[in-house]
Amino acid sequence: MAWRLLGLLAKESIQFLRDRVMLVLILWLYTVEVVICALALTFEVEDMPLAVVDLDRTAASRSLVETFLVTDAFAPAGHFSSATDAERSLQSGRARIALIVPEGFQQGLVRGQPVPPQVLLDGTNSNVAAQARAYALEIAARFSALSQGVSSRPAGAVPVIRVWYNPDQTYTSFVVLSMVALAAMMVGVFHPAASIVRERESGTIEQLRVTTIVTGELFVAKTLPTLVMGLLSVFPSLLIVWWFGVPLRGSLPTFLALTAIFLLSAISIGVLVAAISRTLQQALLLSFFGLFPIMFLSGTVAPVESMPETLQTISLASPLRHYMDVILGIFLKGAGFAELWNQGLALAAIGAPLFLLASRIFGRTTLQGG
Amino acid sequence: MRLGRVMAVVEKEAREILRDRITVGVALAMPLVMLFLFGYAISLDVDDVDLGVLDRDRSIASRELIDGFTQSGYFRLKRDYLSAAAADKDLQLGAVKLALVIPPGFGKDLARGEAAPVQVIVDGTYSATANLVAAYARTIVSRFGAGTPAAPRIEVRVWYNPALRSVTYIVPGLFGVILMAFPPLLTALAITREKETGSIQQIFASPLTPAEFLAGKLVPYGMIAFIQIIMVIGVGFVWFGVPLRGGLGLLLGTGLVYVFCTVGIGLLVSTVTQSQLAAMLIALIVTLMPSFLFSGFLFPIFTMPYLMQLYTRVFPARYFVDLSRGVVLKGAGLPELWPSVLLLLAYTAAIFAFAVFRFRKKVA
Repeated sequence: MAWRLLGLLAKESIQFLRDRVMLVLILWLYTVEVVICALALTFEVEDMPLAVVDLDRTAASRSLVETFLVTDAFAPAGHFSSATDAERSLQSGRARIALIVPEGFQQGLVRGQPVPPQVLLDGTNSNVAAQARAYALEIAARFSALSQGVSSRPAGAVPVIRVWYNPDQTYTSFVVLSMVALAAMMVGVFHPAASIVRERESGTIEQLRVTTIVTGELFVAKTLPTLVMGLLSVFPSLLIVWWFGVPLRGSLPTFLALTAIFLLSAISIGVLVAAISRTLQQALLLSFFGLFPIMFLSGTVAPVESMPETLQTISLASPLRHYMDVILGIFLKGAGFAELWNQGLALAAIGAPLFLLASRIFGRTTLQGG
Repeated sequence: MRLGRVMAVVEKEAREILRDRITVGVALAMPLVMLFLFGYAISLDVDDVDLGVLDRDRSIASRELIDGFTQSGYFRLKRDYLSAAAADKDLQLGAVKLALVIPPGFGKDLARGEAAPVQVIVDGTYSATANLVAAYARTIVSRFGAGTPAAPRIEVRVWYNPALRSVTYIVPGLFGVILMAFPPLLTALAITREKETGSIQQIFASPLTPAEFLAGKLVPYGMIAFIQIIMVIGVGFVWFGVPLRGGLGLLLGTGLVYVFCTVGIGLLVSTVTQSQLAAMLIALIVTLMPSFLFSGFLFPIFTMPYLMQLYTRVFPARYFVDLSRGVVLKGAGLPELWPSVLLLLAYTAAIFAFAVFRFRKKVA
């Protein structure tokens, strides 16, 4: 029994390691893709191209324009002589925001009857636009405090914003961690699905049927390498995570243990997919199909809280959602088993039935003929 | 290139596709599933953010400030704390996303016309919304009590999407993503499948030229893709109520070019790999991920570092997302959009030339 299992495991590992392209691709997903995403993706508004139309051309108007441009949020996208030109640059997408200072701006300020400057915002990306609006309003408030010139200290309520767990307000740590989780999910589903169906499609399953191998052994042999590989792949990504300066505040063993539970549910999904598909193409398309909702309802792409209630409830069934809580909790918040037993339990509760179902269907369709 | 031979390949391929119910089902259902998931699940709007308050002042002013938060529509008062430790714990658990700490003497400072700092602690784990939450909190606090009439108020007008609904910007961008997700994948699988099962050898032995073979593969998948685009556009406009401000003809026309481009990428992928699993992963890396992450679909390109902005130029999704948003939301026409159209055409031509070249080398 043990020898047969070892033999099978050796076969699977050899097959796995032989496919160089696959290995490179998996490594790519875990490392390069994570790096690219972490470098590029941010929701923070920075260097938003700002078109300036200064119809006033006075010291006050220049100082208002200056107040906008000194911030990190906006970068100049050209000065225009008329509002129409600025509107055209918004239309073509060269500028995303336009500041129009009307004639008589300075005079109005002096007389105490200010002529309001206008900000036109390209709202196509609502998230960016909302942030830009807040910045613009804040800049205007700052400008008015300065122009009143009574004291350098603005009166009134002053917000002191502090961001916890991610003080730099960068998206990097989140992106790095969610990409790692996503990679684990994808590889965990695709690999077992492909390796099982390929065996069936190429007919080598017949050879396995005539051996003395029992279903359980084949099942273990098909799933264990993916699990081991999934756990090992965590380490290169840990390097990346460390390179980006994302702290590991919690404990590594806790992380690995919970990752293993998570991988089991991913693998079970892969085996289930393999059980119902006849060709590799079907298996790949089906796992793709299944991965999408799992991914979208996990909070990796968009926060779960802003989804409608029904989707929030459905999202509880996505193992990736709980795993995201785990990975963010362990890395960023330094949570341990005490805080995360909930998620661990949820992962196990999703994984166990899937795993049982997968192993049953696998037994029925694989070795006993499908 | 003989039409008869191309048609023969088209017929064979069409028959194979239609026979495979799972593939057809996935190809047709997937874009809709994606559209609905995106339409409903990917909302980056913030509303009803759970707010915790530690009011150490308990004055009229502090209560007014809290009202300012709850009446803004963005925040929902969930907890009223008595100690900082309780607020810390809730933030740690994620029970509240934002804690507002009003120090003692807040009301008095305000009345005296002095600066009255208020601490706003934001849970930064989901920075996508943390940024927004912080921005809204900043606006509410700085507007509070700043009722000076002489200060110039700024007039902010939001164009193209005045309600700042995220669906309105997600759906037009999604056209670009969906067409990048499936057609290349299906095409790449269709050819690598023949390689893996060995039936490609029969093709090689036949009088078919590479161009004929590729054209025959392209037509049925191009058609599936075009059905997908029509479905997605229809549902996007009818169900999600996205406005169509530009010409439908322009959108469909550029959509057709884009479909050829994506199918071409699928062909190219299939020429560099032997196995379907590898083809799928490559397709994932060169089509789905870039179109999703680096096309400006969700993440604005202008905030990326310069090198990454160059990287986004490598993938055609970026141009189509620009086109689609331009036509749908801004009502732009060819005069504004011709650079993107031209780039897309050039890209498609290059992809095809390269795919045929690679494929021919394999045959020889």
